[in-house]
Amino acid sequence: MSFIEFKNVCKKYPGSDKNTVENLNLEIEEKEFIAFVGPSGCGKSTTLRMVAGFEEITGGELYIEGKKVNEVAPRDRGIAMVFQNYALYPHMTVEKNIGYGLKNMKLPADEIKKKVDWAIQILGLEEYRYRKPKNLSGGQRQRVALGRAIVKNQKVFLMDEPLSNLDAKLRVSMRTEISKLHRELGATTIYVTHDQVEAMTMADRIVIMKEGVIQQVGRPMELYDHPKNQFVAGFIGSPQMNFFDVTVENGTVHFSDGNTLPLSEATIKKLNGHQGEMILGIRGEDLKVDAQNMELNKDSHQHAVITDTEVMGNENNLYFEFGGSQAVARVSKYEISQVGDQIDFVFMPSKLHFFDKETGVNYMEEV
Amino acid sequence: MLTKKQKRINWILVAVLLVLSIFFLFPVIWMLANSFKPDAQITADMNTVAAFIPPALNGNFFENYVSIITDTNFLRYMGNTLLYAAILIVLSIIVNGLAGYALAKIDFPFRDQWLLLIVMLLIVPTETVITIHFLFIAKAGLLNTVVGYILPLIVNPFNIYLFRQVFVSLPDDVYEAAQLDYCGPVKYFFTMVLPMSKTVVATVSVFTFLNVWNDYLWPSLVFTSSDLLTAQIGLNSIASNENTTMGQTLAVITLVTIPVIIIYSLFSKQIVEGVTSTGSKEG
Repeated sequence: MSFIEFKNVCKKYPGSDKNTVENLNLEIEEKEFIAFVGPSGCGKSTTLRMVAGFEEITGGELYIEGKKVNEVAPRDRGIAMVFQNYALYPHMTVEKNIGYGLKNMKLPADEIKKKVDWAIQILGLEEYRYRKPKNLSGGQRQRVALGRAIVKNQKVFLMDEPLSNLDAKLRVSMRTEISKLHRELGATTIYVTHDQVEAMTMADRIVIMKEGVIQQVGRPMELYDHPKNQFVAGFIGSPQMNFFDVTVENGTVHFSDGNTLPLSEATIKKLNGHQGEMILGIRGEDLKVDAQNMELNKDSHQHAVITDTEVMGNENNLYFEFGGSQAVARVSKYEISQVGDQIDFVFMPSKLHFFDKETGVNYMEEV
Repeated sequence: MLTKKQKRINWILVAVLLVLSIFFLFPVIWMLANSFKPDAQITADMNTVAAFIPPALNGNFFENYVSIITDTNFLRYMGNTLLYAAILIVLSIIVNGLAGYALAKIDFPFRDQWLLLIVMLLIVPTETVITIHFLFIAKAGLLNTVVGYILPLIVNPFNIYLFRQVFVSLPDDVYEAAQLDYCGPVKYFFTMVLPMSKTVVATVSVFTFLNVWNDYLWPSLVFTSSDLLTAQIGLNSIASNENTTMGQTLAVITLVTIPVIIIYSLFSKQIVEGVTSTGSKEG
């Protein structure tokens, strides 16, 4: 049996006519780092709070270590949690914040001190030991919140958007710290975030949610390369995947502006007979402008005029109008183009995604 | 940075307030100065500037105070009042604080209606319910007891409302974090909620103290035994005694006023903050 298991878990708030979380089925393995991502209101935080015991489960069953915990109080679930707003005790020093739970567990004073010292040392909080939260920066507060969680030696860590209040630079360094802590402590971690970069960089597996329903569960690159639907394809990756309204007929893609793209035999086979109006998706880095790819795909050259550029340092993003939509190509930093220049590019044949116009299902991942 | 015009307005305001404060301080200065004088001197100085100047420091300087302390039970009355105030402060914080917490953070049927009812109780004058309190205490056989005096004063709608307004702004995730730290709801209230709301705790303490210290009507109804009397009743009985001199009366009034002035001076910031703010969030 899995370490944490959701069986048809639902959450319905009183007065609401639909479920906030709908029939959630998921198995999380021991020591796994799993991230829940999705837009605001998708039910990811509600799911985390159901695991914590702060939200009542209105349908289905939740198991932790094989034990049904639907009715178990939060303190008895063997979990530790890091909150979005830190939730530190404002009248206590760093040391007391970290040791408060241990004190309530009635551990001997010397053991508490040993554990608090360890947490303070591992999180680099030595010089802030006697400070109160109001005298700490955001990053330091977040570290205290982490300290409070790790010191209790629980088997499950829950993290509710722990980095969302930090500035971009600090977020990156805290990301590394949390990953390192996870590797060292080996606790099963559920991490909620709306930032797909955090999920991609930290998680073993990602759960993508929309309107209370799991859209896809998988390893980061699995979601990136093989999205099951248009929502997942659009949510993962920055800049977002390019989408075009197209019609597929007789092995050729017809764009709304009259451009066409002949499909390879392999793609036609994968399309499995699907024809007509659909959405074509392709990632920016799969629109190729380099000579080698241009040569390899010389039957399907496309042209457009650059309307905007983003110089990222390590690469350039070139924006242009094509197929009735705005598209972006991620190119090497050595491909220098200006607004108004013509761009010649090709679609990487193996990287095309075709989504159903109504349901958003990715035809290429149907098998 | 203040402009020249703003500075000028500030100076005018300070001047007006100074004049007003002197106006209000006159009776206090007069009381203090004359509390050290024998009656004959008070009468002689009555319509002169000397009425505001204390007598020269000599062996009889504290005579009025010494006679009050040695010849009457006034110190005991003050002690009683301090004791009642201390008990009521503790009970007020616990009872009204818990009620305020429930109204702020616990979901129960008709919570908002309860709150409205409590707010409406704020406009009911004490005098209108005092008869009911008296009948209740008398029927319970608690007249002339400390319990009978304290019981009706514990629950105070104003204090409940103050607590509620501050508690409502306390972040919920701190409670959730405390739950995971094995802290039960009662422990959470005493070790987290109250320390996080020091301002309102100070405000309620000060208000409760002042209410008890200045109350005359309720203790005069409940207490008949002279052992249990409060400072205000003591003041009245001493002042209305034929043998008490004017100087002694002024000395008693001064003694009654001193704690109030000290409390106001020490806690004026908390009193203003507690009443005006809906709760400040540390950290």
